[in-house]
Amino acid sequence: MASATDSRYGQKESSDQNFDYMFKILIIGNSSVGKTSFLFRYADDSFTPAFVSTVGIDFKVKTIYRNDKRIKLQIWVSGRVPPRSGVRLRAGCSSPPDPSSLPPSPSQDTAGQERYRTITTAYYRGAMGFILMYDITNEESFNAVQDWSTQIKTYSWDNAQVLLVGNKCDMEDERVVSSEKGRQLAEHLGFEFFEASAKDNINVKQTFERLVDIICEKMSESLDTADPAVTGAKQGPQLTDQQAPPHQDCAC
Amino acid sequence: MACELNLNFLKELEREAVLEVLHRDQMVRKTEEERVRKLKMQLQQLRWKGARNMSHEYQERSCARCHKSLGLLMNRGAVCNGCSHRVCSECRVCLNPYLWKCTVCYAHGDVKIKAGEWFFEERAKKYPNEGRHETVGAKLLKSYQKLSNISVVPPTPPPFTESTAGSNVTVNELHQTKSFNKSVENLFLSFTTHIKKISKSQNDMADRSLLTTDYGQNVEKRKERRSQSDTAINIASRIKSTPSRQQLITGAQKSSEILTERNCKQEEDIITSPASDTVFCEGRRHGSLYSLNSTCTEYGNFGKADVTGEIEFAIRYVFKAGILEISIKGCKNLAYGEEKKKKCNPYVKVYLLPDKSPRSKRKTAVKKSTVDPEFHETLKYKIEYSQLGSRQLQISVWHAGALKYRVFLGEVVIPLAVWNFEDSSAESFSWYQLKAKLEKPEDNLVQYSGELLVSARLSVPAQDKNFQFEKWMREGKKAQEAPSCQLQVMVFGTKNLPVPRSAGTLNSFVKGCLILPDQAEVKQKSPVLKKEACPQWKHLFVFDGVSQAQLQQSCLHLTVWDHASFGSSDRFLGGATLGEKESFGFTDPDSQAVLQWQEVLSSPNMWTDIALVLHSNKENFKS
Repeated sequence: MASATDSRYGQKESSDQNFDYMFKILIIGNSSVGKTSFLFRYADDSFTPAFVSTVGIDFKVKTIYRNDKRIKLQIWVSGRVPPRSGVRLRAGCSSPPDPSSLPPSPSQDTAGQERYRTITTAYYRGAMGFILMYDITNEESFNAVQDWSTQIKTYSWDNAQVLLVGNKCDMEDERVVSSEKGRQLAEHLGFEFFEASAKDNINVKQTFERLVDIICEKMSESLDTADPAVTGAKQGPQLTDQQAPPHQDCAC
Repeated sequence: MACELNLNFLKELEREAVLEVLHRDQMVRKTEEERVRKLKMQLQQLRWKGARNMSHEYQERSCARCHKSLGLLMNRGAVCNGCSHRVCSECRVCLNPYLWKCTVCYAHGDVKIKAGEWFFEERAKKYPNEGRHETVGAKLLKSYQKLSNISVVPPTPPPFTESTAGSNVTVNELHQTKSFNKSVENLFLSFTTHIKKISKSQNDMADRSLLTTDYGQNVEKRKERRSQSDTAINIASRIKSTPSRQQLITGAQKSSEILTERNCKQEEDIITSPASDTVFCEGRRHGSLYSLNSTCTEYGNFGKADVTGEIEFAIRYVFKAGILEISIKGCKNLAYGEEKKKKCNPYVKVYLLPDKSPRSKRKTAVKKSTVDPEFHETLKYKIEYSQLGSRQLQISVWHAGALKYRVFLGEVVIPLAVWNFEDSSAESFSWYQLKAKLEKPEDNLVQYSGELLVSARLSVPAQDKNFQFEKWMREGKKAQEAPSCQLQVMVFGTKNLPVPRSAGTLNSFVKGCLILPDQAEVKQKSPVLKKEACPQWKHLFVFDGVSQAQLQQSCLHLTVWDHASFGSSDRFLGGATLGEKESFGFTDPDSQAVLQWQEVLSSPNMWTDIALVLHSNKENFKS
């Protein structure tokens, strides 16, 4: 739950109209993999070791300067909604799913989590990019990545940009998911891959910046294909001329 | 994708937490909508600058953008491969050494990415029914509205200085009992006005901080900001907020109208052939049927026929473009406008109430000599979806006689709050029985003249205010025990103020008149804001040395005036009342203002944002 201080920060930021683009990004992943910490590290450069479960949804706003453009990011954190294995989109999913009728989810730590599903999946559709996060010290969270990915494909637009992030890479001693395994899965799913640590501030900024760059690329692509009459060729050279930052998997 | 969001299953505390997030999201969305609106306005101005004037003949050899004539050998111009118009070398934007586009085509693409439309277009491939706007948050807020056991309160901006009286954590706000006493509708209304206000005043950070701070006692700060904003407001300078296109639109004519988005080809089509489409842009239409005023029909000065017959029309909302469309098919079995002569030349007129000004009026063509006319016209309003809930569609049928003689043939009033725009089956044509005008004479007299956005608070002396206030409440509102306090009213600005067609702008100011129980009057005046069609004064009225008990029986009249030069008298534009108004035997149709007055008085040291509807009946206001 956001405190008064957080919302004040958010309002101050959110009122600012002085930007060129607005991107919406959603961070998903199993409970306690560090989504909110990751967000807070990026948006506020703060870190709290205590675990506070996000109720339903939360977001923060951060405006960055990237590729000569001011980009306002609205970064959402989806709270406590584990994916259902083999989820299918049902048209007009109006009633909350009955937890008892659902197949057991690998990561369901409380039955109550299911109740948030209708809220959070609704936000998938507005997101341009996703950060799919697992915890390198938690095998289960890694195993759930496939399900999360299905969830993105089901609820989001076709061109959704996804980065796979293995969080908590500062906890090398407790690591159970190797970097290699993470990279392979990312490759298999067609996502880019980072290992990061919200606690030690490793690769946090890089992750978001990379995602912003990919979204920018998609944006210029969509302009090229959708509207040749108007664009003619590569739209927004300011975006495509820019080189992608060197890809760095893990600094630790 | 009408995926209903059901929140009944959430526990109350969880709902409050989610609600807080949704409110913040709503603010972000409003900011974004405002930014996109401005972007599109700039683009439109650029197009208008280039659009050929109807009175000028189309000259083959001139630049389509700046109208500079092109030579046969020198500066021949070249055809833009975006819009196929010939433009001079100065109206091009080079993307790379081999490719250029004309300024308008460039700006069009620029707006498309900046407004995020590329994403919505891509998304529409998978979800064709999804609108161009983010609707999830709005839907969720709506479902909160449906829950009876939780009150939807406008998000109270958290204070920067923590004060004891108003520890404004949103969750605490939710618990305040007074919010439970009101109907959810009222609360939601005040919520939307609150949000509207925020989206209006977010043009600079100074405005924003007015809304979010000042829970403490920093009146000084407020004054300082006021003086700064008194002079510094200029629509033109605000419009040019994006440097990249700022250069492109210099010289573009200033216009405060809201514009529709459309690609450049379409736009030019409209301007060269006005009959091809009738899109209206908040009062501006490119058609021919725009009468200068409707005084004869507005003030009851019209003939009456027996009302018979029906009208067939369809209503739909185009989410993608933010346009409300009313397709008028036809009528049948109308009464004769002139019974004796068996004459009837019907036409249909539509207003989006409560706005009764010309900008809200749309009309069809007049059909000659028929009581079963077929119109097949689509009338459009550019309006935000969130606003529809407070609007009513008044569709009336009239007979156009000779010499502006008009006869009322019947009307249908549709409250849009209950209209399901997301259900496509509601979009089909239906027949509606025409009805006589509702006999509400005061309704005809009291005309809507826009809205006045204010924020008010009762400033109670700092020492022991809680104690005093409680004591005062307990002891049955004894006037002598009440502390002497200060009423502060911040007048932000207006919306939808009627602007004379001739001048286009106003030199407006606000008068405040506090009428105390003993009929004593305290008067104040804001500075005149010159040449603004939509003035934002940000002026603070301070009424000193009044007691809470006095104020309970007082009322505040706020009137907006157009300052006249050369000694002639100022022109009344509209007035609104806050508080008890029995003194004039005049009751406001909505008691919202009374409720809000009570809210101001019952929450000392808290700013209450109020959107007052301005009325045109001067005699009801003291100034």
